[in-house]
Amino acid sequence: MRATLSAPEPLVPESPVMDPLAEPRSAAGVLPLRWVAPVFFASGFSALLYQTVWQRALFTHYGTNVESVTVIVTAFMVGLGAGSLLGGVYSRDPRRPALLAFCLVEAAIGLFGLVSLPLIEKVGALTLGMGTLGTGVVSLLLVLVPTTLMGATLPVLVAFAVRLWGNVGRSVGALYFVNTLGSAAASFAAAFFVMSHLGQAGTVQLAAGLNLGVALLVSLVLRRGRA
Amino acid sequence: MRLLVALAVAAFSGFVSLSYELLWFRVYGVANGALASSFPLLLGTYLLGLALGSLWSQVLCRDTSPTTGTRPLRLVTAFFVFANGVAYLSIPGFAAACTFTEGSPAPWMGLLTIFLGALFPLVAHFGVPADTRAGARVSYLYVANIVGSAAGSLLTGFWLMDVLSTAGISAVLLGGSMLGAALLLAGCGLTRRQLAGALVAVGVGGGGLLAAGPVLFDRLYERVQFQAKTEPGFRFTHVVENRSGVITVAPDGTIYGGGTYDGVFNTDPRGTDKNLIFRAYALSALHPAPRRVLMIGLSSGSWAQVVANLPGVEELTVVEINPGYRDLLAHYPQVASLAHNPKVRIEFDDGRRWLTTHPDARFDIIVANTMVHWAGGSAHVLSREFNELVKAHLSPGGVYFFNTTASHRASRTATDVFPYSVGVAHCLAVADTPIQVDLERWRAAMLRMRIDGVPVFEAGREEDRRALDALEARVSGSLEARPRMLRRTDAAVPVTDDNMGHEWD
Repeated sequence: MRATLSAPEPLVPESPVMDPLAEPRSAAGVLPLRWVAPVFFASGFSALLYQTVWQRALFTHYGTNVESVTVIVTAFMVGLGAGSLLGGVYSRDPRRPALLAFCLVEAAIGLFGLVSLPLIEKVGALTLGMGTLGTGVVSLLLVLVPTTLMGATLPVLVAFAVRLWGNVGRSVGALYFVNTLGSAAASFAAAFFVMSHLGQAGTVQLAAGLNLGVALLVSLVLRRGRA
Repeated sequence: MRLLVALAVAAFSGFVSLSYELLWFRVYGVANGALASSFPLLLGTYLLGLALGSLWSQVLCRDTSPTTGTRPLRLVTAFFVFANGVAYLSIPGFAAACTFTEGSPAPWMGLLTIFLGALFPLVAHFGVPADTRAGARVSYLYVANIVGSAAGSLLTGFWLMDVLSTAGISAVLLGGSMLGAALLLAGCGLTRRQLAGALVAVGVGGGGLLAAGPVLFDRLYERVQFQAKTEPGFRFTHVVENRSGVITVAPDGTIYGGGTYDGVFNTDPRGTDKNLIFRAYALSALHPAPRRVLMIGLSSGSWAQVVANLPGVEELTVVEINPGYRDLLAHYPQVASLAHNPKVRIEFDDGRRWLTTHPDARFDIIVANTMVHWAGGSAHVLSREFNELVKAHLSPGGVYFFNTTASHRASRTATDVFPYSVGVAHCLAVADTPIQVDLERWRAAMLRMRIDGVPVFEAGREEDRRALDALEARVSGSLEARPRMLRRTDAAVPVTDDNMGHEWD
């Protein structure tokens, strides 16, 4: 994984697109790359844990029939898509700090994660008996904020990586790789250990802890960069 | 490569990937016996394939001036054709591998997303210039990919899976990808002769795969469900594939839901009684006068047929999540009349959701003979919260009777919620008031009971009298008193919505 991100090619942009105002000098240099891989891996890991638990919690309230399953899965996708667009809009201006945005997004996801299960429980109890459309709307509203935030992380970090490498395919491939690998690892962890040992609440707490840890780590890197 | 083409490829690859994920989950779920781990294991390999595809794509993305010429589109087209051809063969390949497998097979077909996973960074590389708007343009591609995935979820998961078999949907996806490949080839800047040759190659390759479909997908679920134990020539009597799952019926009348035992078409408590249907007859011993009954889960309809005909029952509501079970009733004379019995109302919904959406409904008996305790989703109907929900729907003196499938944790959960209980084989009757087991009342009820107008036991026939004696001995011998059960389940941890019981054991 790290070998992928520190491939033998020079970590210097090959097209003159890097804006020195985009990030503090060292944050836009080599240093953050050591952190980007593990933090984006952790981000993908926690996202999949949330998805596993939130879907399960929503199924408990809205049923496991295929109509509920489909609308809940689609609601996740809508959130990720909306987030991707917002992240793309944000990343258009190279002066905007990509890593700081990523840090804040991760912190927000973690904070939402901590209150997510009680929120789903309360909303689920208040919206009993809704039809397929109602289930879809409520599910969408419940997961919209966190999934939008999750969806925004890829384009924000891609913009950051392209400024470093000047290569879109490599940037997307590398980031998509570590993030998806994190999600794959979370799937296996959920199947073999996490869900059976931690239950739903414990799994969400683990995911939130990872998000907040990522946010803390990135903020420390940014502070070091400014120092 | 133009951004528009990149968007179309990203959307289509999202659609195909998610459609195959749904098909793989359907098939792998049967192979893995509907375990909760089926989905995360398949999802894990699916994502691992996407991740490895992304890694691989980086080798192909070293060219930093990618948007010129037609070479990028040719490379994407070659990937597109190969990825879709391999995806079509994934399920027949998995079924073939299953016949050599003992125990749970690995969901290796998820790794085939390595080809589809490589497509996304590849089209991003060739379709998006490395300038300050790269992040924004990649976000468009990502959205196109997600829109395609959402379309796969809705179109394939909601509609195609209800009207076509796995083989049929695979054929539709292959046909669509052949069309997509033809459009991509048209934009590759090939000479007329080259284009004709490429189109013929795609047509012959894809057409050959489609023509081989009936052979490739033959006895799919027989091989997937029984794996190395599949006997040559064995065929299910019925295979029902719909968006709610897969139901298979063996020639001996055993019915399977998602590859897991789900009962037998049998209402006769005598003889081998493979489905232990005598427990449904035992209900008359547990409640003095059950009039309104709710049954969660229909399956073969055998339990519902018996309960609907218990003396005194005026109304039976059955809540079943998969309409496919109702469609099978007509094929089996033991239960065929259930579909037309005016006392019986079958509703298609999630049992738990039905209870929450009918807060005022009250029943004398609620029966749940739904799923084995180790299956995915079992905690939905075994947890403390579910027991409390059931409790709120019982009339005064009402009894909840459910199949614990020998789970100590399920038994303990119910006995924690209800102060009174009696075990009947692997089933458990629980209530808020004392349960008086009255075998004399039960015997009288059995002698009055008729199914389809035919007496279950005729008082005047010696053979029936002996059978009734044997059944009475069987019922009384299977009873387990509460103190003994509490001792037996003392160390069991109750099932909750949070710990999800046995699902992840």
